[in-house]
Amino acid sequence: MSSHLTTKRTAGSFFLSSVLAGGWYTTTSAVLSGPTADSVPVVGAIALAGLVPLVAPMIWANTKTENANLNMAQKLQAFDSHAIVNIVDTKGLLEEVNDRFLALTGYSREQLIGQPVAMLYDDRFKALASEISSSLKRGETWQGETPLRCANGQMICTQVTVMPLYDEKGKWTGSITARTDVTRANQLLAERDTAETLDELRDDIWIVDAQTHNLSYMNRSAMRRVGWTDSAYTDRTLEDLAQETDCENILNACEALKSSDESMTQFVTELKGKDFQATIKMLQIGRAPGRFLIMLHDITDQVNEERTKSEFISMVSHELRSPLTSIKGSMGLLLSRAAGELPTKARALLEISHRNADRLVLIINDILDLEKIANGRLEFDLQETDIADLLRETSDANATLEQRFDVNIQVENTSKPVTLTTDPNRVIQVLTNLLSNAAKFSKPGDRILVSLEHTDEEIRVSVSDKGQGIPAGEQHKVFQRFADLSNSNRAAKGGTGLGLSVCKAIVENLGGKIGFDSREGFGTTFYFTLPKKHSQMGAKETAPLMREAS
Amino acid sequence: MIKLLHVEDDADIREIALMALELSGDFDVVQCETGEAALNQVQGYTPDVILLDMMMPGMTGRQTLEKMREMDSLREVPAIFMTARAQHNEIEELRQLGAADVISKPFDPISLADQVKSAMQAG
Repeated sequence: MSSHLTTKRTAGSFFLSSVLAGGWYTTTSAVLSGPTADSVPVVGAIALAGLVPLVAPMIWANTKTENANLNMAQKLQAFDSHAIVNIVDTKGLLEEVNDRFLALTGYSREQLIGQPVAMLYDDRFKALASEISSSLKRGETWQGETPLRCANGQMICTQVTVMPLYDEKGKWTGSITARTDVTRANQLLAERDTAETLDELRDDIWIVDAQTHNLSYMNRSAMRRVGWTDSAYTDRTLEDLAQETDCENILNACEALKSSDESMTQFVTELKGKDFQATIKMLQIGRAPGRFLIMLHDITDQVNEERTKSEFISMVSHELRSPLTSIKGSMGLLLSRAAGELPTKARALLEISHRNADRLVLIINDILDLEKIANGRLEFDLQETDIADLLRETSDANATLEQRFDVNIQVENTSKPVTLTTDPNRVIQVLTNLLSNAAKFSKPGDRILVSLEHTDEEIRVSVSDKGQGIPAGEQHKVFQRFADLSNSNRAAKGGTGLGLSVCKAIVENLGGKIGFDSREGFGTTFYFTLPKKHSQMGAKETAPLMREAS
Repeated sequence: MIKLLHVEDDADIREIALMALELSGDFDVVQCETGEAALNQVQGYTPDVILLDMMMPGMTGRQTLEKMREMDSLREVPAIFMTARAQHNEIEELRQLGAADVISKPFDPISLADQVKSAMQAG
């Protein structure tokens, strides 16, 4: 293409020189007269014919260079406007950066020139820097994606081309790097990926502006649930959604979260005839108004399963209690001599049966309680309670333990009222259990001490016995269900193996702690603490039903 | 003598309750197997206290009491429920329904008569 152009331009030179020479001869012949009239036209025509082909290419060559330079300058200007450019010397020091580089990164030229280019990268980039350096030394251009640290510490992502630079003698003098900021493009790709991933979820996801309540995102499952298609959620608010799907409680929970110290709330709700575990998280970025991330997990099957299980356990319990009522009732009447005097041995055997029927009732009660605790359905009836009075009453009510096990129950530090908000019946249940255990493991004639201590925040109740204690190697099993401790002799003592598990669950659900100190051969002290002001938020996650007394 | 109407579907429990109440010598007990039978019984008989099992085939104890409360003669008669499912919320509901007391099964036959008497006094 270039030789063709040269040929054309050479032919043109000759054509031009012929025209000019011809023109000169005709004009000067007509104009001149005298001695020069013959020589000037001829000499001039010969000179033009000879010189023009020589001079014209030189003129064309200069014009071409100027055009090329102009073209290159325009290209560089476009490149400079588009790309982020820096030049680095062979030592890796920054020699030049363009204005766009400064505008994007927030550095001044003075902050960068002469500084190692490594200052722009984070530590994770070291391996990549070494790879780029190797490419340059081999004279190769490197292309890829690298992070770039801005003056404010923020990292941006750049698509990079790094080319080695050489001087006129071919010596490597450094490199030139051209970058494009792809942070936003990457973000969009990531958002698209995230959206595609969220669309695959079975859970419903709503993202709502915390201030305007505008819906900024709903995944496919959420839209399908409310019967919307495409991006029908845009231009709609949480209020619209609440109206259409009858889910005001979600709206209310969002409002409550805004004025709360908590950043997350969870509750069970109904939506379109199904049961959902709703999780609302307040996403606050900087000082922006923030967004609500609302996640709805369908628990309809789980709720139905739990309902069925609960009904089954309740039914089994009822079916067991009815015959037990007859068994225990008959034995109780016999023991009360309703059917006359019994032979001594028959009476002893009947007492064993009666005691074990009692044990069976306790086991059924404990199983029911544990099932309810596991499902968060154990009811607590919170009331202002004088714990000192409660301890005295419970100890009195357990006087039968004193007779049966020949022990003496004493109550300490209960002369003054100590009030707290708790469920008195559940506290009685715990204390009765601890007293029963203490009595079972005491020696005849032993004293069992019930003691109350309190601070401004909590109360601490302890039940101490001087029994055989719990072997150190088995203490970790104490609160396990049906834990068989080597010296417990549970069957003979009439324990259910569930009592302490139930106590632990009750105390923890009431916001307290339960524990023990024991030395084998010296006795055991079980204790539990309860907060004076019961906080429902402090209760365990499987929150039981809490009701404040009206 | 206190006229007591006992409604219970389990024959064994009826017998034990009867023996337990007769032990005290203060009760004149009439027993019915179902809620429907109890509603028939009260047509010509007004008890001083009603002892009702909760879970019965056909009409439950609660439904039986609701029907009885529609009758002028039984509107104020103390009713005591016996239940094998004595949960706190159920007990509260039954009390709101007008139950003078709720006795859990298995009950103590020795103290049954005293429990009924104290519920009548409280009611």
